[in-house]
Amino acid sequence: MTVLQAPNAPTPVVRADDRWLARRRWARAGWLYAFMLVMSLFFLGPFLMGLLSSMKDDPNEYPPRLAIPQLTPQYLGRAYNLGVQGGGGGWNGGLYPGHTVTFDVSVRSPQGAPQDPPSAALFPYQPVSLVSIARYAQAKDFAQVTLTPTGGVGDVRSYRVTVRYPALTRQTGRVVTGQLTAPTDTLSAKLDNGQVVPVTLDTPEAQAVQYTLVQYQPVELVENGGRYYLRGPIFQRTPLQVDVRRGQSLESSTLPPSDRQNFGRSLAYRNVTPGILGYTFNNYRRAFNETTNPATGRSLFFTWVLNSFLYAFLRVVAAVVFCSLAGYALARLDFPGKNLIFFGAVLFAQMVPSQVNLISNYVLLKDLNLLNIWGLWFNGLVAAGGVFLMKQFFEGMPRELEESASIDGAGPFTTFWRVMLPQAGPALIALAITQFQGAWNDFFWPLVILRDNTNFTLTVGLSNFRELYGGQGDYGLILAGAILSAIPVIIVFVIFQRYFVDTGADSAVKG
Amino acid sequence: MFRRGQSTTTAYLFLAPFLISTAIFFFYAFARAIYYSFTDFNLFNSPQLIGVQPYTQVVADPSFQRALTNSLIFAVVTTTLQTIFALLMAVALNNKLRGMAFFRSAWYMPSITSSVVITLIFLWLFQRRGIANYLITQWQTYQPLILTFLIGLVVAQVIQVLLERRSGLPARWTDPALAAVSALASLVVTAGLVWAGVTGPREVAPFDYQYFADKWITVGGVQILSIPLLVVIIQNTFTTVPTLMLFFLAGLQNIPGALYEAADIDGATPFQKLMNVTVPNLRPVTFYVITVGLIGTMQMFDQVAVIGSAAPQDTLITLAFYVYTNTFKAGAAPVNLAAAAAIILALLILAMVFVQRRFFPSEAR
Repeated sequence: MTVLQAPNAPTPVVRADDRWLARRRWARAGWLYAFMLVMSLFFLGPFLMGLLSSMKDDPNEYPPRLAIPQLTPQYLGRAYNLGVQGGGGGWNGGLYPGHTVTFDVSVRSPQGAPQDPPSAALFPYQPVSLVSIARYAQAKDFAQVTLTPTGGVGDVRSYRVTVRYPALTRQTGRVVTGQLTAPTDTLSAKLDNGQVVPVTLDTPEAQAVQYTLVQYQPVELVENGGRYYLRGPIFQRTPLQVDVRRGQSLESSTLPPSDRQNFGRSLAYRNVTPGILGYTFNNYRRAFNETTNPATGRSLFFTWVLNSFLYAFLRVVAAVVFCSLAGYALARLDFPGKNLIFFGAVLFAQMVPSQVNLISNYVLLKDLNLLNIWGLWFNGLVAAGGVFLMKQFFEGMPRELEESASIDGAGPFTTFWRVMLPQAGPALIALAITQFQGAWNDFFWPLVILRDNTNFTLTVGLSNFRELYGGQGDYGLILAGAILSAIPVIIVFVIFQRYFVDTGADSAVKG
Repeated sequence: MFRRGQSTTTAYLFLAPFLISTAIFFFYAFARAIYYSFTDFNLFNSPQLIGVQPYTQVVADPSFQRALTNSLIFAVVTTTLQTIFALLMAVALNNKLRGMAFFRSAWYMPSITSSVVITLIFLWLFQRRGIANYLITQWQTYQPLILTFLIGLVVAQVIQVLLERRSGLPARWTDPALAAVSALASLVVTAGLVWAGVTGPREVAPFDYQYFADKWITVGGVQILSIPLLVVIIQNTFTTVPTLMLFFLAGLQNIPGALYEAADIDGATPFQKLMNVTVPNLRPVTFYVITVGLIGTMQMFDQVAVIGSAAPQDTLITLAFYVYTNTFKAGAAPVNLAAAAAIILALLILAMVFVQRRFFPSEAR
């Protein structure tokens, strides 16, 4: 055997070999991390791009940029400042009566180009509502715009745009806000505390606008001696347009323009009194504010969020109670027809597409007048998948627990309720999470069963968004809605991560 | 343990809510669907039996034929893609590295968000002037640089491996340490060439492709796969890969490490190890993943419904969507046709599962 033994290699070579191997290991880890970062980018990229773009003025901007002014401290500060000037505060923004906002614009006009100042004006903005257009008052009908030169360096000249919104009344007193109520012979408003008061129009300016104001128009009133005088409507937005002359170009402005048209000479500023919410989270605010239901004045989007939560909650509660009962019976109780029930009602039911049951269930729920959240809940009361999950879990628990309970004289129900269910914590959490996720993301059944847009869940509402705004390319609203509806599941996922990861994989290997 | 009679009563009591709701919303509904599929029901009349006529009518409907083709192609392509990618990613993830938990959660994100949200985001990404087209434009612009880099990488790697082998070290062609050096060297060379003006980004017109239009991949004049459906395939693969990857990961953890050690001793390459150790051992999981994938993809509905009128209907219609549109068609709803189509869909899925079980049995059973 000695002949076959390899001669001992000299020590230095071994060391070099070791180092060579170690280097390889390190390099391998490096490549692996690089690969995983690329894959993370691939899987998170669409969401991150969607999130960033949902804050842009124009999510369809081409070429797309990653640096967006809406997240730059400098512009955030200015948006805050403009909101304060408008009277609505740095966060909410808006233009209130009696306030003046200044906005700086500087224009480059090279030699040979006209040296005239640009023109500035407010322009109308009407939200495109889902169901009807609420014709809110426009800042352009109430505020005056003036443009004054403030100097310049070289080719660049600066101008100050002043938007002044005089109050409609000269009364002084406590200033309150409210919303106008349904129009009758006299104007009245519902204050923030719910009180409805008649509104007095004491100046010709105020009287001139009384027929232009619609229901739900937010207004500011002055209370003096028990009477409420109209100070003026409140504008959430102050859209400003600046047109420069041919040959001139915009050098800078307080906020970057939202839109450039006419070869960059016509500059639109979506809102010069945005506040931070109106600047960075404008699309999110629009999702809530521009979907008002004309009958109630309530935000449809908000209703959908509530509906989704209600449906998810109902589903979770029903699943936790009924799936664990059924799962326990299938796992531990002995009774005739057990196998038939398991294969027929649990496995087969999971395999057959839900479209088969579409017609019958729709007709049934329609006859029962249950084409709403309750019908939706009723339809998916006990999920076969949940029963399967609980059955697997209970099968894995030690029998001794039940036996000792049985010796102590406990019946099956007591055993289940007092002994088994308290042990089932992790499985119940997993069940609750999968059911929450399933209900929140459910689309087919809500689309079939929910017929009225006040009953929609978020998924159906969002697909409605697509129909209504997608054609116009208004992806800001669609993306904001999509991101908002993804947030609850992501939060649940971040908190209960390991349950997500565990349940699926376990059932795969066992199943 | 418990007395038998008592136990039976209790069991049925425990199962009552589940059985009742399944009986009403599944079995009764299923039976009624079968019944409707042999009648002339249209939501407003009282159904009359008319035999197999609805089935013949459905099968003759060009829209149904398109839906059937689309569904089958979608199911096969998507299931294949997602299974392969999930397996490869699971193998890559199965290394014990720091921060693996983070990557796992990050990759899992597409699986937890709703298909509606992801469809909306994909609609936006694949707009005419969207990010997908932008990235393709960028790729075209920098193609010369990328090619230069890749050629440099391969050349440097070959030179290095040959040198290593001459000095007696058993370097593989894919040696990671050498590849890192090659990548660095190639990067420097490419930068140098750009600086010298030999190569550089090209001027290309913006890639301007409309994905959601009536465009088809045809084979011999037969429309096989539409471009909008291809986008949905990409999206579906993107969302399902992470979940399926977890199934594979769980399976990988059950493969004894000794098998890999034995393969290492035999001098197997990573590819050989994948094909001869990993894949055979993962057969039960693969079986499950393919079954789940087929059941899921055959029922594809959400994406079609969300995209809706944004793409021509023929390009995206699937069986599930065909059932839905026929049930709620304005005017007289041909519910009997919808029911017949639904039954065909159910039979197809059951047949697929059966074939899978019959001919590709899982070794774990």
